[in-house]
Amino acid sequence: MVKAGDGDVLSSQKLTITPIQAGYQALFFAMGSPCEIQIRSVLPPERSRQLLVDCYHEASRIEKKYSRYRCDNLVSQMNSATRVQVDEETHRLLDYADHCYRASSGLFDITSGVLRRFWRFDGNSTTLEPDESAIQDVLSCIGWDRVYWEAPWFQLPPQMEIDFGGIAKEYAVDRVALYLKDRDLDQILVNFGGDLAVYTSDSQRYEPWTVGIEQPHAHGQAAQSVSLYNGALATSGSTHRYCRINDRIYGHILNPKTGYPVEDAPLSVTTFSDTCTQAGMLSTFAMLHGRAAEPFLQAQQVPSWVIRP
Amino acid sequence: MQLITITDFSGVTSARKSNGFKQELTFATAALLGLSVAAPSVAEEPGPWKIETAGLVYSESDSRVSAFEPVVSAKKEFGEDRVFNAKLVLDSLTGATPTGALSSDNVQTFTRPSGQGSYTIQPDELPIDDTFKDTRVAFSAGWLQPLTSTLKGGVGVNVSAEHDFRSLGLNGNLSKDFNQRNTTLNLGLGFESDTINPEGGVPVAFAEMQPANSTPTRQAEDDDKTVVDTLIGITQVVNKRTLMQFNYSVSQADGYLTDPYKILSVIDDATGLLVSSTGVNRYTNLYENRPDKRTKQSVYWRTKYRFDRDMFDVSYRYLWDDWDIRSHTIDTRYQWRFAPNQYLEPHFRYYQQSEAEFYRPALLNSDVTNNTLPEFASADLRLADFSAITFGAKYAHRMASGSEWHLRLEWYQQSGESSPDGLVGAAKDQDVFPTLSSVIFQAGYAFEW
Repeated sequence: MVKAGDGDVLSSQKLTITPIQAGYQALFFAMGSPCEIQIRSVLPPERSRQLLVDCYHEASRIEKKYSRYRCDNLVSQMNSATRVQVDEETHRLLDYADHCYRASSGLFDITSGVLRRFWRFDGNSTTLEPDESAIQDVLSCIGWDRVYWEAPWFQLPPQMEIDFGGIAKEYAVDRVALYLKDRDLDQILVNFGGDLAVYTSDSQRYEPWTVGIEQPHAHGQAAQSVSLYNGALATSGSTHRYCRINDRIYGHILNPKTGYPVEDAPLSVTTFSDTCTQAGMLSTFAMLHGRAAEPFLQAQQVPSWVIRP
Repeated sequence: MQLITITDFSGVTSARKSNGFKQELTFATAALLGLSVAAPSVAEEPGPWKIETAGLVYSESDSRVSAFEPVVSAKKEFGEDRVFNAKLVLDSLTGATPTGALSSDNVQTFTRPSGQGSYTIQPDELPIDDTFKDTRVAFSAGWLQPLTSTLKGGVGVNVSAEHDFRSLGLNGNLSKDFNQRNTTLNLGLGFESDTINPEGGVPVAFAEMQPANSTPTRQAEDDDKTVVDTLIGITQVVNKRTLMQFNYSVSQADGYLTDPYKILSVIDDATGLLVSSTGVNRYTNLYENRPDKRTKQSVYWRTKYRFDRDMFDVSYRYLWDDWDIRSHTIDTRYQWRFAPNQYLEPHFRYYQQSEAEFYRPALLNSDVTNNTLPEFASADLRLADFSAITFGAKYAHRMASGSEWHLRLEWYQQSGESSPDGLVGAAKDQDVFPTLSSVIFQAGYAFEW
């Protein structure tokens, strides 16, 4: 059984491919998460292995291009406050970020990553309160509306940063899943750190994927499970990414307007959608709605699982 | 362990017209991933009914008039930009309106419009008819649809009824997009036919108000008028943030345009005192008379500017007619979106008009006795020089369910000349245009159904 929101499968950078029943499984570590791809097909073993290697390269490519931790990639260039000409793929990601910024009235903002200086979401306890005045200072470095973006030209004001972390992983899941969908496979599972997409061909309808929705703060215990043939699940929440300050749990969804985690947000929101990118964004939007996460999801008619303390 | 079996969500999560937010996200995600979303089959699907309900309470400071006005409007999209909308308004007014007669140092007795019974007005108080109580029902409906890829057409009908007034209107409009949809040309045409059936019948022009329970001087049971409105306008997208609109319109009214309930006092040429009539505390009051044609023209400019979150909206209208009325209206609103799902909208409006050429606060007795009355005369304060300001604010809150409620509170003040030209002697000491202020409160709720 696959676990949504599960992260402790593997912690090695390199790719391992192993045979499983009627197919192959690839495991690797990318984008800060354990990644897993399963394919089932009647293809020759070498062909299956090659497809998985291709997927690994695609995930690595996206990580390399959009990671904010590197100093040799496009994002570091974009964060240098100089005018940068971006490629077609980045153009589409920026337009998507722009749409999400507007649709959330500014709550989803890819320039809000600078706030992470104050909040470490590694699940550890700490007694350190973030410095209120420092947070106020850094709020002036946030605001997608202040970014120059006139395709293909992009420029950030000094001291501002962008971060594709809220989109890249789910985008990578969809890119890999879409690549595999055109390859005559019977079943596909792409699971990057719990954000996942599955596919089942029409001839394999008798065997759905079963996905567990994990209980927060209790690793490995699946609270609920869902069976599905096609679609994507994405989780936004503090199952793993939270911090504890003076016994208060702060989730990792930050409000770019206050600099603090969204008040009364659920611990985690998992949503189902056609694509992982959309599921991720709906989960994030739900978290941003705080205590109104459930009515928001209900209004959007999104199948979802909300976990609160 | 609870097992939820989900086999296929394609019907649930594919782009649905009924859900704009998610549909837009679906399209944005599809654009990101280079997917094509099967839009045409979905676009055929009708959207939900968008219902707006509101209740408005209007109250004048001196309790002269109060009104309660519930409104319900509904809108439905039938796909391919075809839209139906309908609106029902119920107006319930109680109170009193100025009759046009002057206040005086003496008690005055007036006959009710029906001719049955009378009412008295205390010294120095503006004569108002307190029988004023009416309920108006108005209904309108419209249909809008594209005719070609850049041409849209709409038709509408509106009816309204009160106990003494019925109105039927038809309208049509065309809008054509140019310049990659950055420019839209609008043409509108409206036709309205009204019938007025005043209480007690239609008075003869300048006939004297008769004592109660005697036969009033009436020309007919009812009368009618027609109004033809034409509009030409242009809407221009100036840039990503600015939208500008210019309109020119002409309104041509023909028929009975006089107010059958309005009267004029008759004053002595020298003393300015009211001229007495037969009966206790009774003075001479003549029914007003207005031209049977009126042509109004107006120019209108409006600009909307969108900030990152906030919105600024300003408009100006200049209106002139062949009754010599000139008016200026400035209206501004600022929508302050201080939270993603809430906004506060301060509103300010200024209105100023000059009087109609035949407006006069009273008639002179010499003109009545020498039969030299003007062709037209009215003491209706709505035809006088006056200015008005409105300011207030609206607060709206959108809930996670997508429904929105709002509250609006506004304050309105109207002031005019207290002693306009045409008065002599004692009449000059009377306040013809007491300042009027009123409060408007509205609560509304909008939802999808």
